[in-house]
Amino acid sequence: MGAILQNPTQAEQDLLASFTAGKAERERKAAFDRFANLGLPSRRVESWHYTDLRAKLRAAPPPAKKPDAAALAQARDRLGPVDRLRIVTVDGFFSRELSDELSTVPGVRLRPLLEDDVRLKRLVEGAGDALLDLNGAFAEGGFVLEIAPGGRVDAAFELVALDGGTGARGRFGRGMVILGEDSRATFLETRGESGEGFSDSALFLSLGRGSELDYACRSTGGASVEVQTFVARLEQDARLRATAFVAGAPFLRRQLFVSCAGENAEAHLSGGALLRGREHVDTTLTLTHDAPSCISRETFKYVLADQAEGVFQGKIIVPPHAQKTDGKMLCRGLLLSDEASMSSKPELEIFADDVACGHGAACARLDESQLFYMESRGIPRVQAQAILVEAFAADAFDIIDDEDLRDLLKLDLKRLLGTNFPWGAFS
Amino acid sequence: MLEIENLHVSVAGKKILDGLTLKVADGEVAAIMGPNGSGKSTLSYVVAGRSDYEVTEGSIKLDGVDLAEKSPAERAALGLFLVFQYPLEIPGVTTMTFLKAAINAQRKARGEEELATPDFMRRVRDAAKKLNISQDMLKRPVNFGFSGGEKKRMEILQMALLEPKFAILDEMDSGLDIDALRVCAEGVNALRSKERGLLVITHYQRLLDYIAPDTVHVMHKGRIVRSGGPELALELEKSGYADYAEEAA
Repeated sequence: MGAILQNPTQAEQDLLASFTAGKAERERKAAFDRFANLGLPSRRVESWHYTDLRAKLRAAPPPAKKPDAAALAQARDRLGPVDRLRIVTVDGFFSRELSDELSTVPGVRLRPLLEDDVRLKRLVEGAGDALLDLNGAFAEGGFVLEIAPGGRVDAAFELVALDGGTGARGRFGRGMVILGEDSRATFLETRGESGEGFSDSALFLSLGRGSELDYACRSTGGASVEVQTFVARLEQDARLRATAFVAGAPFLRRQLFVSCAGENAEAHLSGGALLRGREHVDTTLTLTHDAPSCISRETFKYVLADQAEGVFQGKIIVPPHAQKTDGKMLCRGLLLSDEASMSSKPELEIFADDVACGHGAACARLDESQLFYMESRGIPRVQAQAILVEAFAADAFDIIDDEDLRDLLKLDLKRLLGTNFPWGAFS
Repeated sequence: MLEIENLHVSVAGKKILDGLTLKVADGEVAAIMGPNGSGKSTLSYVVAGRSDYEVTEGSIKLDGVDLAEKSPAERAALGLFLVFQYPLEIPGVTTMTFLKAAINAQRKARGEEELATPDFMRRVRDAAKKLNISQDMLKRPVNFGFSGGEKKRMEILQMALLEPKFAILDEMDSGLDIDALRVCAEGVNALRSKERGLLVITHYQRLLDYIAPDTVHVMHKGRIVRSGGPELALELEKSGYADYAEEAA
């Protein structure tokens, strides 16, 4: 297997060598074959132009094994009490033992994800990406969270992705959230895997007719090389509000594939990222308006200090049948140092003639006049900077309707700036 | 007491203040009048400590403390306050957050306890009421989308809450209609005290009808060219600045 790939890198050789699949695992094999054909994406692949994964991932650590009792115990110690309904993965494997018992929650079902799940197949096909294939080849033990039609769950769900103290490993978590018609839920994803190794996780969302989801990903820390793939499909009248708070990720690619597949669907996507040192964070999203009269809004904010690199690529696709599309995309970078960089590439591919689409990208420094105004009121410069940075980034979380979730993200941000500012080597 | 001695200031190599000397005692209200470009706003920024102005000579002291090496925040904590001619908008930062950060930062710098939230809220509410500032305005981001009058009232609110030892009012009357001017002036007058000095910078006599000065100084080409009592402002209103320009020359 993998013979088609010419001149594989060490990491590609490692990945090809460590793959095993049972006879019945056709989907996994198919995903692996697709990956083995193309290998890791390099800057020659347009959508990976600013994030050269092939060069970055020098060697691929061995894939994590299903967690043993010791790994589960270690992960359990890291779980504090929360009032959310928790789904826990350890090294990418769904752990029923560490997750909350959801069978007693009316209208909610939590089950293992099978590789031949029809809905999953449709979502994967809609995305089409090497790292999604890699995830498909190696992921074992994913989960499915299903909310029954009309279901309303008061508490928020939280996916907590932990490691089992197993060091540098390849982690391939995956999960799917299915919202039945007219259901409503809040879902938080907290990435708490080890700072070592390679992580290639995927989350699939299927939003049924008229359903509504508030989603946030907290990514504070993470593997030395990490790829998160987010795939969502919205049926008619569905509403998705999805945001991400990223800070402290050494090398992270977040890729979002969102499809408004039914009329009048609405997708609001945003993110706030704080980068310092030599951190590299790439958000690449493809939003397809695959039905008429859908609305999409994207707002991504990057704060960049030191030699950090931010990347934003956003593509809105409007095929001929998606008339009355309303899409707006914005990316803003706040540069706190001369050596930090931000690459923004917004794109619109519009084939329908009755649409309102726009995009914007801007980069700036902190406003000296605003800083002076605050200082003249007695607020020390560093604190004034922190307040302005917080205001800049926090704005990304305002798309979230669930007040508790929104407040949680803002509090995380405030705490981080309160204890960690100056956010880099600037004065 | 504010003491400015032989102050020379340049901006990007251009001399703006040229040997300015001025003393304003505790409890005194001094007015500085002068034509456009005479350096009035520069003076206010330099005293407040804005970093892009270079002091090449001279000194500024507040209550005997030399401000030369002090940051703007340190100057504020020492009791200095500037009412901006054009208050800045700060989107995303609510007025309450801003006020609390300012008050507590100053208290901390002076070694005082931070204000507890209920106490803070009560103080803001009381001060806001006197200036016709609604609760809704306090919930909005700092000065964001405010009218000129609202911005100036917000400046006076900050002044009332921060209780400075010395305040500079940089063209407080600009952008204000008569009613807003009266409200702001009443706010300032309420803050007049034996311990607090005020420096009122203005083009027009009109503001001084509302805030009566003890002394009036005429500024031209970066220095004080004449000083006198309130009658000097009335004289200027009649004759304009042309005479002083010649005197200075």
